[in-house]
Amino acid sequence: MSRTEFLAELERLLSGLPEEERQAAVQYYADYFADAGEENEPGVIRELGSPEKVAESIKADYYGTEFDEAKFDRRDYMEKYGQRSEKAGQEAGRSSEGADGRAYAQGGASDVEGQQKSAPWTSRGLKILLIALIAIVVWPVSLGLAGAVIGFAAAAVCFFACLVIAAAAVMLAGGVVAVTGLALMVIPPAGMIVVGIGILLFVLGLIATVAAVKLCIIVYPAMLKGFVNLCRRPFYGKAVS
Amino acid sequence: MLYGKGGCMVFNTGAALLDAIVLAVVSMEDEGTYGYRITQDVRKVIDVSESTLYPVLRRLQKDECLEVYDRQFDGRNRRYYKVTGRGMAQLNLYKAEWKTYIQKINAIFEGGVTA
Repeated sequence: MSRTEFLAELERLLSGLPEEERQAAVQYYADYFADAGEENEPGVIRELGSPEKVAESIKADYYGTEFDEAKFDRRDYMEKYGQRSEKAGQEAGRSSEGADGRAYAQGGASDVEGQQKSAPWTSRGLKILLIALIAIVVWPVSLGLAGAVIGFAAAAVCFFACLVIAAAAVMLAGGVVAVTGLALMVIPPAGMIVVGIGILLFVLGLIATVAAVKLCIIVYPAMLKGFVNLCRRPFYGKAVS
Repeated sequence: MLYGKGGCMVFNTGAALLDAIVLAVVSMEDEGTYGYRITQDVRKVIDVSESTLYPVLRRLQKDECLEVYDRQFDGRNRRYYKVTGRGMAQLNLYKAEWKTYIQKINAIFEGGVTA
């Protein structure tokens, strides 16, 4: 639609108004187009929407009724943020079946076009789809990585646990040797040596066990903290500290 | 602040506020100004469609807050709008109302700290 067609259509739609009123409105929009410049003509026509919408805003004001812009301009607040208001769309659809059937329908169609153009391409659905796609593509890599991390953690946990078990085993062995030594007391020198070695082993094992347990008390909480931090890193900022 | 994310208007502009903004924009020019420029200037501060302003200008003209005159420009008549004495009085009323209004809102927003 050119500016001449737009103005002619507007004048026709305002034919119910007094001559002076109609002339003033058409004059205003003729001025508007002229001041906007020829290069901006398509932009101005797109912005104005349709002659129907402009005529309605003028008539509504003249007759003192409320002009419901949402009926014509569906790019309302919610839609600007990517959420289509279906209700508004339905209302506009109904209005297109009004008196000037064909003209309204045409206006409505071009409105829908404009609306689709202005809708942000990063809609919510698209974002979710994108995230799902990324997850699928990255899945084998992330699965492997997670396995490696869990494996390392398990190895570390087992290592310190083994230290405790080994130390305890030495202690136990020492005890057994000492008891065996007691049985060997029939030959006093051999029995005393064996009991001595057994007691020595038992004490060494005891010391090692206590040390290993203490080490575990220090190391396990630190490891847990480190692991939690590692897991939290990807969600940095979202985690509650 | 009138703008949200991406420069979109978050708050609705009521009819009175729109009248006030249009009167203020027109009053900035002693010689008066024309429709296209008024629209561009208003759109610098609030998000209104291009078809919103004609009815406003027409109503302000009928209320004798604005007066119009035609002047030759580029081989055609261009319609200029100018604020009348009555329009000036109306604008000052709006300004005073606006001041108390934002003070009250600020008081609530900032917990009793008014500008």
